Amino acid sequence: MSWAAHQFEVYAVQAHLPKKMIGKVSFWAIFLGDFTPDFLSKFWVYGFTINGTRYGAEIPHQWHRGFPGMGFTHTLFFGLLIAAGFWLWKRNRAFVIGYALGYAAHALTDINDSVGVMLLFPFTTLNWTSETWAYAATVDGGKYLDGAAYYSSLGLVMDVFWLIVVCFSWRVLTREHWRTRVVPADARIWAFCGKYLPERGLLALYRATFFYGVCRMISWSAWAHLVARPVIDGVERVGYPFDLSWNGPYWLAARSLPHVNPWLAYPVALALLAGVYVAAIRLWEPMGRAESERRSRSGTQDASGVHDSA
Amino acid sequence: MANVGRVTTDPEAISPDLDFRGSRRLTGAEEWVWYLVAAVTYIVAGIWHKWLLNWIIGPVWLVVMICVGPPLVDRVRAALRGRRR
Repeated sequence: MSWAAHQFEVYAVQAHLPKKMIGKVSFWAIFLGDFTPDFLSKFWVYGFTINGTRYGAEIPHQWHRGFPGMGFTHTLFFGLLIAAGFWLWKRNRAFVIGYALGYAAHALTDINDSVGVMLLFPFTTLNWTSETWAYAATVDGGKYLDGAAYYSSLGLVMDVFWLIVVCFSWRVLTREHWRTRVVPADARIWAFCGKYLPERGLLALYRATFFYGVCRMISWSAWAHLVARPVIDGVERVGYPFDLSWNGPYWLAARSLPHVNPWLAYPVALALLAGVYVAAIRLWEPMGRAESERRSRSGTQDASGVHDSA
Repeated sequence: MANVGRVTTDPEAISPDLDFRGSRRLTGAEEWVWYLVAAVTYIVAGIWHKWLLNWIIGPVWLVVMICVGPPLVDRVRAALRGRRR
């Protein structure tokens, strides 16, 4: 799985919205969409222990990304299904499009670990993985081994890559961007939060996911390489050794599920991402018209202050 | 700019130093310093207490630091100034 990358990609999506959606797609929807897959499945991956009894998945990677299991939570199909459900319920394109984009970002970037995701679920339950780094969540190792492995492998490079993407789009973190692009799309939420927080608090809330991603990346890396004292091949070491080779690190057996040829994973994932963006662009205006129609039928106003049906 | 009810984010309508609630705005170097303080404290705490590194505590840590820190420092400064007089 990706760690801090999932925090950074929220801002990457926010910074690279199609032109006509700028200032109109809900940032919180992007965040929620990106957050949903692991929120639904990860609690049981690591499990928890009460009175010496462990409660959790017997085969974590099967539960997390496989079928049978909760692997469907990491599929475009499921994400778009939830988005469609939100549309039928609320007819709010700002939320639905944001949620779909955030969900797609999470599901598609998770092809990078050795377990991958079921990109073409429900048509096939085969996983798609580029095997970039080893999936390391195990019953014995838990979160600590998972974190150590991720931050000793190309997983760290993935986090740094997404951090650089956001840094190149640094304006997405500015007060100006928040005021002009983020707040108008979620005016009600920010107004509610504004009852309790000053502006500097609201801005911090907006930047908080990025902050959390940067800090967890540095904390886990520092712990894994400076504080931890693992025993590898019978030798106690100062920190887990780095291994930036493909499907590393070498000191851990990479978990895997039945999957297609890894060379296919990236092309298919990128094609699906392009498909999601094209679909979002094409549906934007029709959704806007449907939203306006529903609003005029129910006699309600656009609370975001953005009166735009197209 | 969004203008919902009494909440406005229009910087022209309010003082550059105060926000819509009359609270001090953080800008420039001071803003950077507070974010850095929040990050360094959170990172150091997180290295030895992994349970802090989650999507609830991380954001709460930052928001509390940014909301509470500056007025606290202002009060301490004012108190020290008062003592010197």
